[in-house]
Amino acid sequence: MKKFLIPSAALALCIAAAAAWAAPGTVLRNDKLYSEPSATARVAGSAAKGASVDILAKQGGWLRVSSGKTTGWIRLLSVRAGAGGIGGAGLGDVVGAATTRSDPSRVVAVAGLRGLNDEELKQARFNGDELARLDGWAVTTAQARSFAGQSGLAAVNVPGLPGPKPQQASSPWENN
Amino acid sequence: MKIKLMVLALSLASFSGVSAGLDLGKLLEERVKQELNKDKQSQPAPAQQPAQTPSQAPATAQGAAASPPPAKQKIDARQLGFALFGDYTPEEETRIGKQISGNLLGAVPLVRDDKLQRYVNLVGNWVALQSGRKDIGWHFGVLDTEDINAFAAPGGYVFVTKGLYRRLNNEAELAGVLGHEIAHVSQKHHLKVLKQSSLIGALGQVASSKAKDSDQAVQNLIGNGAEIMARGLDKNAEFEADRIGVVYAARAGYTPWGLPEVLQDMAGLPAKDNRTSLLYKTHPHPADRLAALGEAVDGRFDAVRGKELADRFYRIR
Repeated sequence: MKKFLIPSAALALCIAAAAAWAAPGTVLRNDKLYSEPSATARVAGSAAKGASVDILAKQGGWLRVSSGKTTGWIRLLSVRAGAGGIGGAGLGDVVGAATTRSDPSRVVAVAGLRGLNDEELKQARFNGDELARLDGWAVTTAQARSFAGQSGLAAVNVPGLPGPKPQQASSPWENN
Repeated sequence: MKIKLMVLALSLASFSGVSAGLDLGKLLEERVKQELNKDKQSQPAPAQQPAQTPSQAPATAQGAAASPPPAKQKIDARQLGFALFGDYTPEEETRIGKQISGNLLGAVPLVRDDKLQRYVNLVGNWVALQSGRKDIGWHFGVLDTEDINAFAAPGGYVFVTKGLYRRLNNEAELAGVLGHEIAHVSQKHHLKVLKQSSLIGALGQVASSKAKDSDQAVQNLIGNGAEIMARGLDKNAEFEADRIGVVYAARAGYTPWGLPEVLQDMAGLPAKDNRTSLLYKTHPHPADRLAALGEAVDGRFDAVRGKELADRFYRIR
């Protein structure tokens, strides 16, 4: 029975923190809202692709969101942060330049900070000194293993993820 | 892969109408003719050599790749062959990566912070160990620019910009970003682009980078400067690197949610920001990447526990 005290305490904490954290988000795929951050928890409702939500908290691979009258935990990857809609797929193109590749005139500088651009990279001249500097920071496999061990990191067996369903099988990338 | 090469070799040799191979074959034929005519030689191009029986096709492809160039031929047929048929050896791959990285570093220098660079190399090497690629040496560097981006080059060269590094909150997020780039290397995404682009145009192109240690043969293959970094990859290669990158990070003992958190952070950035214009030019929008990754992950990480290591994370000044 004690088991249930911990999650509900965590929940209470999250709710307390929620007011300060609330951020807009958009649901990327139809998914369930659970009463706790676990797929074995009770289903509290569902969220439809494209719906706007408020992100209240996060925990591991889960976000606590409110969607209309329902509040619950949804998978982190089922929601995007920001109010930009579901993304670059042509629907709800609020993000503008970010998804409009071919119109450079729309890329307007808002941040004063400079970014990299194509021309700089195209004109770049080989710099052997910087490359040598990079070499100087290289570490050995043994050093990396020891570094990992210091924080208790150990290799874990995690199976690879499946690729997308074969609708883009014509792409040369999927052949290897 | 092997089978595809075989098909390609066959269609090149016999001009039989294998649809996918034929276009490439024509392109190659024109390109090679063009190159050879410059030298006014009537030497047949490798692609025009008569086909042998199908069972000998792999040998034909290999022969084309490995045979010494016919006399007085201006282009290096062996290099051409490699770009088309064979796999690059780890040494060639490293040579290519070195040239691309040297060029990139010509545009953006490394951050002068030994502790930072050493730390990134330790995390990077640990994650790269999970990729199974032990035939190359790995190099990681933080680039001194506020641009938000990360780059990979063949041979195990991986770069993160200071602008991106600053936004990270813990070691797991760094591991996720590096995992994505390591996946580009392990899947040889850029080498595949090189093979394609060398067919289409870079072949025979002469750039003029005469700097110390610059590799002219490789420079000819990769085009201008570090242009290949600005051109980006197929979006499916980016989605694949996301899928593989999160798995590498998880295999290294980190929480798999590092990369997704970074993508969430980027998704929340204003769209019109100079610091992300190159990133968005070369990558699908973060929202699309999250959605694609979500389809692949679904509940598969529900039982995966891992570390965030926020305390150990090296914070940049």
